Amino acid sequence: MELGSIERDIHVDASPEVVFEVISRPEHMREWWPDEARFEPVAGAAGELLWRDEQTGETMTVALAVVEADPPKRFSFRWCYTEPDRVGQSLLVTFDLTPAGAGTDIRMTETGFREMGWEIALLEEQYKDHVSGWDHYIPALGRYVARLAATS
Amino acid sequence: MSAAVDDDLWSAIGDPIRRTMIDLLLAGGPGTATSLSERLPVTRQAVSKHLAVLDRVGLVHATPAGRERHYQVDEAQLGRAVAQLSAVGATWDARLRRIKRIAEAIERNRTTDNQGE
Repeated sequence: MELGSIERDIHVDASPEVVFEVISRPEHMREWWPDEARFEPVAGAAGELLWRDEQTGETMTVALAVVEADPPKRFSFRWCYTEPDRVGQSLLVTFDLTPAGAGTDIRMTETGFREMGWEIALLEEQYKDHVSGWDHYIPALGRYVARLAATS
Repeated sequence: MSAAVDDDLWSAIGDPIRRTMIDLLLAGGPGTATSLSERLPVTRQAVSKHLAVLDRVGLVHATPAGRERHYQVDEAQLGRAVAQLSAVGATWDARLRRIKRIAEAIERNRTTDNQGE
Protein backbone atom coordinates (compact mmCIF):
# COMPACT_ATOMS: atom_id res chain seq x y z
CA MET A 1 0.00 0.00 0.00
CA GLU A 2 1.41 3.31 -1.01
CA LEU A 3 0.85 6.25 1.24
CA GLY A 4 -1.69 8.76 0.10
CA SER A 5 -3.14 6.79 -2.76
CA ILE A 6 -6.30 5.01 -3.79
CA GLU A 7 -5.87 1.71 -5.63
CA ARG A 8 -8.55 -0.28 -7.33
CA ASP A 9 -8.37 -3.47 -9.41
CA ILE A 10 -11.04 -4.75 -11.75
CA HIS A 11 -11.16 -7.47 -14.38
CA VAL A 12 -12.81 -6.71 -17.70
CA ASP A 13 -13.86 -9.29 -20.28
CA ALA A 14 -12.49 -7.24 -23.17
CA SER A 15 -9.09 -7.01 -24.83
CA PRO A 16 -6.53 -4.46 -23.55
CA GLU A 17 -6.93 -2.60 -26.86
CA VAL A 18 -10.65 -2.09 -26.28
CA VAL A 19 -10.15 -1.19 -22.62
CA PHE A 20 -7.45 1.30 -23.53
CA GLU A 21 -9.81 3.06 -25.93
CA VAL A 22 -12.55 3.22 -23.32
CA ILE A 23 -10.31 4.80 -20.67
CA SER A 24 -8.36 7.13 -22.95
CA ARG A 25 -10.77 8.48 -25.56
CA PRO A 26 -12.87 11.53 -24.61
CA GLU A 27 -15.98 10.19 -26.37
CA HIS A 28 -15.80 7.08 -24.18
CA MET A 29 -14.68 8.86 -21.02
CA ARG A 30 -17.80 11.02 -20.94
CA GLU A 31 -19.84 7.82 -20.78
CA TRP A 32 -18.17 6.76 -17.56
CA TRP A 33 -17.15 10.00 -15.89
CA PRO A 34 -17.61 13.70 -16.78
CA ASP A 35 -20.46 15.13 -18.81
CA GLU A 36 -17.92 16.18 -21.36
CA ALA A 37 -14.20 15.54 -21.90
CA ARG A 38 -11.92 17.56 -24.17
CA PHE A 39 -8.39 16.30 -24.71
CA GLU A 40 -6.17 14.49 -27.16
CA PRO A 41 -5.13 11.13 -25.71
CA VAL A 42 -1.42 11.81 -26.27
CA ALA A 43 1.33 12.49 -23.75
CA GLY A 44 1.60 16.15 -22.81
CA ALA A 45 -1.81 17.15 -24.12
CA ALA A 46 -3.77 19.67 -22.06
CA GLY A 47 -7.51 19.35 -21.77
CA GLU A 48 -10.62 19.75 -19.67
CA LEU A 49 -13.28 17.75 -17.97
CA LEU A 50 -16.69 19.38 -17.67
CA TRP A 51 -19.61 18.76 -15.39
CA ARG A 52 -22.98 20.44 -15.75
CA ASP A 53 -25.25 21.04 -12.82
CA GLU A 54 -28.70 20.40 -14.26
CA GLN A 55 -30.44 22.35 -11.51
CA THR A 56 -28.39 25.55 -11.68
CA GLY A 57 -27.26 25.22 -15.29
CA GLU A 58 -23.71 25.96 -14.18
CA THR A 59 -20.74 24.22 -15.74
CA MET A 60 -17.73 23.20 -13.71
CA THR A 61 -14.51 22.88 -15.69
CA VAL A 62 -11.56 20.95 -14.32
CA ALA A 63 -8.16 21.14 -16.00
CA LEU A 64 -6.48 17.92 -17.01
CA ALA A 65 -3.12 17.05 -18.56
CA VAL A 66 -2.29 13.73 -20.18
CA VAL A 67 0.95 12.36 -18.73
CA GLU A 68 1.36 9.02 -20.50
CA ALA A 69 -0.48 7.33 -23.33
CA ASP A 70 1.11 3.97 -24.08
CA PRO A 71 -1.52 1.78 -25.77
CA PRO A 72 -2.60 -0.74 -24.76
CA LYS A 73 -0.70 -0.74 -21.49
CA ARG A 74 -0.88 2.52 -19.64
CA PHE A 75 -2.82 5.77 -19.61
CA SER A 76 -2.23 8.43 -16.99
CA PHE A 77 -3.26 12.00 -16.44
CA ARG A 78 -3.17 14.75 -13.82
CA TRP A 79 -6.18 16.68 -12.59
CA CYS A 80 -7.37 18.69 -9.56
CA TYR A 81 -4.56 21.21 -9.88
CA THR A 82 -4.23 23.58 -6.92
CA GLU A 83 -3.30 26.51 -9.19
CA PRO A 84 -4.72 27.77 -12.50
CA ASP A 85 -3.07 26.82 -15.81
CA ARG A 86 -2.14 23.33 -14.65
CA VAL A 87 0.48 24.32 -12.13
CA GLY A 88 0.82 23.56 -8.44
CA GLN A 89 -0.01 20.22 -6.93
CA SER A 90 -2.38 17.78 -8.54
CA LEU A 91 -3.72 14.27 -8.43
CA LEU A 92 -2.21 11.67 -10.75
CA VAL A 93 -4.53 8.97 -12.09
CA THR A 94 -2.88 5.97 -13.70
CA PHE A 95 -4.54 3.05 -15.44
CA ASP A 96 -2.29 0.02 -15.90
CA LEU A 97 -3.66 -2.67 -18.19
CA THR A 98 -2.48 -6.28 -18.08
CA PRO A 99 -3.75 -9.05 -20.36
CA ALA A 100 -5.54 -11.72 -18.30
CA GLY A 101 -6.86 -14.67 -20.27
CA ALA A 102 -9.10 -13.29 -22.99
CA GLY A 103 -9.63 -10.14 -20.95
CA THR A 104 -7.80 -7.39 -19.12
CA ASP A 105 -6.94 -6.57 -15.55
CA ILE A 106 -7.15 -2.85 -14.83
CA ARG A 107 -5.30 -1.33 -11.93
CA MET A 108 -6.35 2.25 -11.24
CA THR A 109 -4.17 4.30 -8.93
CA GLU A 110 -4.88 7.84 -7.83
CA THR A 111 -1.97 9.43 -5.99
CA GLY A 112 -1.16 12.86 -4.73
CA PHE A 113 -3.35 12.95 -1.67
CA ARG A 114 -0.34 13.02 0.58
CA GLU A 115 1.26 15.89 -1.27
CA MET A 116 -1.99 17.79 -1.09
CA GLY A 117 -2.25 17.17 2.61
CA TRP A 118 -4.90 14.57 2.03
CA GLU A 119 -3.17 11.93 4.03
CA ILE A 120 -6.52 10.87 5.35
CA ALA A 121 -6.41 8.60 2.31
CA LEU A 122 -4.11 6.47 4.38
CA LEU A 123 -6.56 6.56 7.24
CA GLU A 124 -9.35 5.22 5.09
CA GLU A 125 -7.19 2.42 3.74
CA GLN A 126 -6.20 1.38 7.23
CA TYR A 127 -9.77 1.61 8.38
CA LYS A 128 -10.87 -0.65 5.57
CA ASP A 129 -8.04 -3.15 5.77
CA HIS A 130 -8.12 -3.44 9.55
CA VAL A 131 -4.42 -2.80 9.62
CA SER A 132 -3.21 -2.50 13.18
CA GLY A 133 -2.31 0.87 14.56
CA TRP A 134 -4.94 3.52 15.05
CA ASP A 135 -6.22 1.15 17.68
CA HIS A 136 -7.99 3.88 19.57
CA TYR A 137 -8.92 5.86 16.54
CA ILE A 138 -10.62 3.19 14.52
CA PRO A 139 -13.36 2.17 16.94
CA ALA A 140 -14.46 5.78 17.30
CA LEU A 141 -14.46 6.22 13.54
CA GLY A 142 -16.32 2.99 13.05
CA ARG A 143 -19.18 4.15 15.24
CA TYR A 144 -19.55 7.37 13.33
CA VAL A 145 -19.17 5.89 9.89
CA ALA A 146 -21.82 3.34 10.81
CA ARG A 147 -24.09 6.12 11.99
CA LEU A 148 -23.48 8.14 8.81
CA ALA A 149 -24.20 5.08 6.72
CA ALA A 150 -27.39 4.46 8.64
CA THR A 151 -28.65 7.99 8.14
CA SER A 152 -27.72 8.42 4.49
CA MET B 1 -15.86 14.54 -9.05
CA SER B 2 -19.31 14.99 -7.59
CA ALA B 3 -17.97 14.10 -4.14
CA ALA B 4 -17.34 17.42 -2.46
CA VAL B 5 -13.99 17.38 -0.78
CA ASP B 6 -13.34 19.89 1.94
CA ASP B 7 -9.68 20.78 1.39
CA ASP B 8 -9.28 22.57 4.72
CA LEU B 9 -10.66 19.64 6.64
CA TRP B 10 -8.49 17.18 4.82
CA SER B 11 -5.30 19.15 5.14
CA ALA B 12 -6.01 19.68 8.84
CA ILE B 13 -6.10 15.94 9.36
CA GLY B 14 -3.30 15.35 6.86
CA ASP B 15 -0.53 16.17 9.30
CA PRO B 16 0.84 13.18 11.25
CA ILE B 17 1.28 15.17 14.47
CA ARG B 18 -2.27 16.42 14.29
CA ARG B 19 -3.56 12.92 13.68
CA THR B 20 -1.60 11.66 16.66
CA MET B 21 -3.13 14.47 18.72
CA ILE B 22 -6.62 13.40 17.66
CA ASP B 23 -5.69 9.85 18.52
CA LEU B 24 -4.50 10.87 22.00
CA LEU B 25 -7.61 12.96 22.61
CA LEU B 26 -9.89 10.11 21.54
CA ALA B 27 -8.03 7.61 23.70
CA GLY B 28 -7.50 9.73 26.80
CA GLY B 29 -10.43 12.12 26.69
CA PRO B 30 -10.14 15.93 26.72
CA GLY B 31 -6.61 17.31 26.99
CA THR B 32 -4.70 20.57 27.07
CA ALA B 33 -1.78 21.80 25.00
CA THR B 34 0.42 21.01 28.00
CA SER B 35 -0.85 17.47 28.53
CA LEU B 36 -0.56 16.70 24.82
CA SER B 37 2.93 18.15 24.49
CA GLU B 38 4.12 15.82 27.27
CA ARG B 39 3.29 12.89 25.04
CA LEU B 40 4.52 14.31 21.74
CA PRO B 41 7.99 15.16 20.42
CA VAL B 42 7.02 18.80 19.90
CA THR B 43 6.81 21.89 22.09
CA ARG B 44 3.69 23.13 23.85
CA GLN B 45 3.70 26.11 21.48
CA ALA B 46 3.69 23.83 18.46
CA VAL B 47 0.87 21.77 19.95
CA SER B 48 -1.12 24.98 20.49
CA LYS B 49 -0.72 25.89 16.83
CA HIS B 50 -1.82 22.44 15.71
CA LEU B 51 -4.82 22.62 18.05
CA ALA B 52 -5.76 25.97 16.50
CA VAL B 53 -5.75 24.37 13.03
CA LEU B 54 -7.94 21.52 14.24
CA ASP B 55 -10.24 23.96 16.02
CA ARG B 56 -10.64 26.08 12.90
CA VAL B 57 -12.03 23.16 10.88
CA GLY B 58 -14.18 21.95 13.76
CA LEU B 59 -12.29 18.75 14.50
CA VAL B 60 -11.78 19.77 18.12
CA HIS B 61 -13.67 22.04 20.48
CA ALA B 62 -12.12 24.00 23.34
CA THR B 63 -13.52 24.69 26.79
CA PRO B 64 -11.72 27.21 29.03
CA ALA B 65 -10.26 25.58 32.13
CA GLY B 66 -8.30 27.97 34.31
CA ARG B 67 -5.34 29.30 32.39
CA GLU B 68 -5.56 26.50 29.85
CA ARG B 69 -8.14 25.23 27.44
CA HIS B 70 -9.48 21.71 27.41
CA TYR B 71 -9.75 20.29 23.91
CA GLN B 72 -11.94 17.43 22.85
CA VAL B 73 -12.52 15.78 19.49
CA ASP B 74 -15.69 16.49 17.55
CA GLU B 75 -16.29 12.92 16.47
CA ALA B 76 -19.08 13.86 14.09
CA GLN B 77 -16.75 16.15 12.18
CA LEU B 78 -14.09 13.45 12.17
CA GLY B 79 -16.61 11.00 10.80
CA ARG B 80 -17.47 13.52 8.11
CA ALA B 81 -13.82 13.71 7.05
CA VAL B 82 -13.62 9.95 6.77
CA ALA B 83 -16.93 9.76 4.91
CA GLN B 84 -15.61 12.24 2.34
CA LEU B 85 -12.63 10.08 1.63
CA SER B 86 -14.77 6.96 1.42
CA ALA B 87 -16.86 8.84 -1.13
CA VAL B 88 -13.76 9.41 -3.28
CA GLY B 89 -13.00 5.69 -3.24
CA ALA B 90 -16.63 4.80 -3.91
CA THR B 91 -16.82 7.12 -6.92
CA TRP B 92 -13.81 5.35 -8.46
CA ASP B 93 -15.53 2.01 -7.91
CA ALA B 94 -18.55 3.30 -9.80
CA ARG B 95 -16.41 4.70 -12.64
CA LEU B 96 -14.53 1.42 -13.01
CA ARG B 97 -17.77 -0.53 -13.12
CA ARG B 98 -18.93 1.72 -15.95
CA ILE B 99 -15.60 1.27 -17.79
CA LYS B 100 -16.05 -2.49 -17.48
CA ARG B 101 -19.61 -2.38 -18.80
CA ILE B 102 -18.70 -0.18 -21.80
CA ALA B 103 -15.57 -2.15 -22.75
CA GLU B 104 -17.37 -5.49 -22.51
CA ALA B 105 -20.25 -4.21 -24.65
CA ILE B 106 -17.77 -3.06 -27.33
CA GLU B 107 -15.97 -6.39 -27.16
CA ARG B 108 -19.21 -8.32 -27.55
CA ASN B 109 -20.24 -6.24 -30.55
CA ARG B 110 -16.86 -6.74 -32.16
CA THR B 111 -17.02 -10.49 -31.67
CA THR B 112 -20.53 -10.60 -33.10
CA ASP B 113 -19.46 -8.53 -36.10
CA ASN B 114 -16.54 -10.83 -36.82
CA GLN B 115 -18.74 -13.90 -36.61
CA GLY B 116 -21.20 -12.32 -39.03
CA GLU B 117 -18.54 -11.89 -41.69
